[in-house]
Amino acid sequence: MPDRGLEEVDDLCHQAASDAAMAILRKLPDFRGDSRFTTWACKFVMFEISTRLRRHAWRHRKIEPNEQVLDRLVDSALPALTRLEQTETLHFLQRAIRDDLTDRQRLIFQAAVLDEVPIDVLAERLDSTRGAIYKILHDARARLRRALARNEGKEERV
Amino acid sequence: MKRDPLEGLLGHTGRDPGCDAAFEQFDRYCDACLRGKDVEREFPEFMNHLRNCPGCREDAEGLLAALRQLDED
Repeated sequence: MPDRGLEEVDDLCHQAASDAAMAILRKLPDFRGDSRFTTWACKFVMFEISTRLRRHAWRHRKIEPNEQVLDRLVDSALPALTRLEQTETLHFLQRAIRDDLTDRQRLIFQAAVLDEVPIDVLAERLDSTRGAIYKILHDARARLRRALARNEGKEERV
Repeated sequence: MKRDPLEGLLGHTGRDPGCDAAFEQFDRYCDACLRGKDVEREFPEFMNHLRNCPGCREDAEGLLAALRQLDED
C-alpha cells in the first residue's frame, strides 16, 4: 500500500479508537459484568474500526445491482438434470426478486447478497443504520423464501 | 462455484435477532468461545445471525483474533 494510503488508514484507525472510547464511556453504566471488561470494551473498538475500513475500501466504488449474477451461480459440475432444476429455481428467484420485493428490498438484496456490498457501506450510502439495512435484507430473504415455497407447492418456515 | 447457491442467497431459516441485538451479545459470545464453551448450544440465535450476516461474522472473527492476541501478550 502506498504511504498516502497507509496514512489514511492510520488516520481512520485513530478516529475509530477515539469514537470507540467515547462509546465505551457512554455505555459504561450498562456494563453488567457478563463478560470480561476487556472483551466488552474491545467490541466497540472492533465495530468502529471495521465499519470505517469497509466504507474506506468502498469509497470509490459505485453500487450497481446486477441480477444477471444469478446466472453465474449455476453449478456446472452438477449432473445435467440437477443443474436444470437449479437453473429453473434461480430463474424463478430472478422473477421473484423483480416482482415480489419492494424497490428498497430489491436494491438492498441485490447489493448486499448478489454484489456483496457490506451492509455498513449500504447504511452510509442510504443514510440508514446497519441494523435497519439488515432488517430489510432479512425481510426480503423471508419474502423470497415464501415465494419459492409457494412455487414448489409447500409451506416453509421462514 | 457454490454447491448450494440458495443458502447463500436466502440465508438460513430460524430466528435471527439482527445486527443490533447481536452486537449486545458479541462480548459474551467471544468469552464463551475463548473458554471453549459449546457456543452453538448457548447462542443458537446469535450463531444463526453470524451465518446470515457477513459483516457481523467478520467482526466476530476479528474480535476473537484480537482477544487471543491480547491474552498471549
